[in-house]
Amino acid sequence: MSRLTRKQFFNRLAAGLGVLGGGWLLSACGGEETATPTATEAVSTPTMGAAATATAGEATAPATAEVQPSAAEGEPEAPAPTEAQASSATATPSAGPADLVVARGGEPEELVRQAMATLGGMERFVQPGYSVIIKPNICVAYHTYEYAATTNPWVVAGLVKLCRQAGAGRVRVMDNPFGGTPEEAYLRSGIQEQVQAAGGEMEIMSQFKFLPTEIPEGRDLRSCDIYDEILNADLVIDVPIAKHHGLARLTLAMKNLMGVIRDRPAMHSNLGQRLADLASRVRPGLIVVDAVRVLTANGPTGGNLDDVKKLDTVIASTDIVAADSYAATLFGKEPMELDYVRAGTEMGLGRSDLNNLRIEEILLGT
Amino acid sequence: MRRGIPWVRIRRAVQGLALVAFLGLFVWSRRGGWPPSIVNVPLRLDPLAMLTHLLSSRTVLVGSSVALAVLLLTLVRGRMWCGWLCPLGTVLDVFSWNRWRVKKQPPPESLRKVKYSLLLTIVFAALLTNMTLMIFDPLTILFRTLSVSVWPAVDQMVTAVELALYRVPVLRSGVSTFDGLLRPTALPASPAFYRYSALYAGFLLGILALNLVAPRFWCRYLCPLGAMLGSLSKVSLKRREVNDQCQQCDLCARVCPTGTIRPDEGYASDPGECTVCLNCMEACPYGAIEFPFHLSPAGWETYDPSRRQALMAFGAAIVAVALARSGLTALRDHSRLIRPPGARENDLLSKCIRCGECIRACPTSAIQPSVTESGLEGAWTPVLVPRLGYCDYSCHACGQVCPVQAIPPLSLEEKRQQVIGKAYIDENRCIAWADLKPCIVCEEMCPVPDKAIKLETVEAVTPDGDTVTVQRPRVVRERCIGCGICEYKCPVNGEAAIRVYAPPDVS
Repeated sequence: MSRLTRKQFFNRLAAGLGVLGGGWLLSACGGEETATPTATEAVSTPTMGAAATATAGEATAPATAEVQPSAAEGEPEAPAPTEAQASSATATPSAGPADLVVARGGEPEELVRQAMATLGGMERFVQPGYSVIIKPNICVAYHTYEYAATTNPWVVAGLVKLCRQAGAGRVRVMDNPFGGTPEEAYLRSGIQEQVQAAGGEMEIMSQFKFLPTEIPEGRDLRSCDIYDEILNADLVIDVPIAKHHGLARLTLAMKNLMGVIRDRPAMHSNLGQRLADLASRVRPGLIVVDAVRVLTANGPTGGNLDDVKKLDTVIASTDIVAADSYAATLFGKEPMELDYVRAGTEMGLGRSDLNNLRIEEILLGT
Repeated sequence: MRRGIPWVRIRRAVQGLALVAFLGLFVWSRRGGWPPSIVNVPLRLDPLAMLTHLLSSRTVLVGSSVALAVLLLTLVRGRMWCGWLCPLGTVLDVFSWNRWRVKKQPPPESLRKVKYSLLLTIVFAALLTNMTLMIFDPLTILFRTLSVSVWPAVDQMVTAVELALYRVPVLRSGVSTFDGLLRPTALPASPAFYRYSALYAGFLLGILALNLVAPRFWCRYLCPLGAMLGSLSKVSLKRREVNDQCQQCDLCARVCPTGTIRPDEGYASDPGECTVCLNCMEACPYGAIEFPFHLSPAGWETYDPSRRQALMAFGAAIVAVALARSGLTALRDHSRLIRPPGARENDLLSKCIRCGECIRACPTSAIQPSVTESGLEGAWTPVLVPRLGYCDYSCHACGQVCPVQAIPPLSLEEKRQQVIGKAYIDENRCIAWADLKPCIVCEEMCPVPDKAIKLETVEAVTPDGDTVTVQRPRVVRERCIGCGICEYKCPVNGEAAIRVYAPPDVS
């Protein structure tokens, strides 16, 4: 290799930077905004545009959602409306799957499998090659899963396996703990071990991927730094553990989305509305609430086994409000006692009128 | 040792490998990296740190015996540590600024005294249980600066580049993969912040800048570890000799980085100054330089420590220690002097070698080098600053990595019980107390199983006359361990509305 003179070196450096800068400019023109960026799709990340179109398309949906059963809402992450209809038509029998499935009494992984089968199978949500992100609650690195501060590892792993079987490409699992480092939290919760054994990846959420994001439907929270990968995934599965929380009263699926944003303390004023606003932008396609063990007091951190109650229950739904509403009843609470359920219902994110929902309960023999 | 063997190249290779090894040990000394027994090796190799710790703490650490290896090497081959292994020495060789140096007379030989004075003062102060001057130990300088200044800066730079490249869609997956390789193994998942990091960087930069005056200025005139090994080198077995092949060509004197080869004395050198870099041997066209065996000690130089100098150092140590501990400069009753878990104040001051390993290991950068909290005597000892980071309930890394047990090696269970401070709520600033608005962040974050912060629901009247229901936090003092996550996460701007103070039983 010949040695460069200083001038040559700077010339080449300038050329390289110019190319990079040009690419950046081009891509910025191509589609920073929510308008469908065909240019970006063509480049390398076909999923980018998909999330954007899905949300753009859904902006009109909430009004109709109230009247129409949630079958239309079932595929919020599908790349195009026509495809979504096609897949739901093939996957669902004439009556269509229930709005919400509750599975009780069995091993966590079996509960997940049965609940998902009843909800129409994972194939309803995952198409071959899909990039899936599972967002469990791994809020602290303090305790093992028995303390019910973090989602049950086998519930998460069960979902990973189902996604893989349905032909998903990458299945990533991530959270952004507030207490302790993510690497320690992934280990101690036991989730890393089970997820990796099931063929999934644990991703440490990188600081630079929290990008400023508009929340068009937000009523209080209009913009926020949201984890970019979450918005770009083909399917986001929200897998909270049901537990006590001092302000929100319970932390469930909507509260679990706190993990995908950067500035969490700012959420605490008007928490209920802001959680609903956030949910309106993230729009997880599938919600699986882990109530195998629930934490009844001293949440969300836990640490006392006396506060843990074993319910052996898993709730699965496409409707985040419905899932949280049902989970609230496990603690003897009315759905409307939770601010975020009320806000989510008002915004039309989903339904909290449990009596009118088609709920299918399955009891597994243990 | 005949001509033909490329000794200088070999030496440089060894230096490079040693530097890489030291850096590697540094990088993976973060929690979750290599076990503490391995991570501690660099500092345990430091005979000055181990000797002063022994004198000051009056405790014998088995791990300290690693330093005997360096002493043994010095007794056989002189200051080979300085020329071949010392990571700071290698850094000084890399940044020698040879091209920029204005060729002029080197500083007077008497300046070499400074390092001996420093060494003697450090040793005498250690006898008086004071370790403050260990801030001048070359290894602690390097490791501290790496922890507090260099690595956080590298992290910020990498993040800035990643952030810029990530906005280019084509590069996204590449940037993600790159980041996955780097974090959390080499760089932390979330950035570490240190107060006054420029101060520590400036200290090291100053030492590097002195290279402009003379090569290896630090090693020649200032380094206390160099002084310690230099005095031992007076009796080392193999020392530099010039044989009768010498033609007085002056080449060796010109390449000597420590300037100890004296043309007027037949190109002889002082083994106390020679770092065995072998530049002279390779430069000599006549093979006139040898390193034969000697049994008799080398001669005493004018700049070597005298009795008077020793007495002065002793006096200086006494006065300095007395002053540091007198009310004039001591700030040891600082209410925010929160020490790492299990460290007792007097123990810490007499044991801590100021290496910054705990600062490096702390995953939340809660542990910061003390600047004002601990007074002059405690300069650069570890102190917890909860507003910058909290003591992670799932971590006990600081006690594990401390090479001198200034922070006791508590088990995780013991550490979780260890009280390091107590939290107090400032009702004038608290959102719930002062503004009557909902905020329970401190309660939410509290890691103690039964919560050391409890919420009480009360009715209050706002200035506008409305009655509101609000949840107010209160600290259950007996349960509080002082981890400081409440203070760290408190959403109030500026000073937190809940703050951790040193517990009353710590002096």
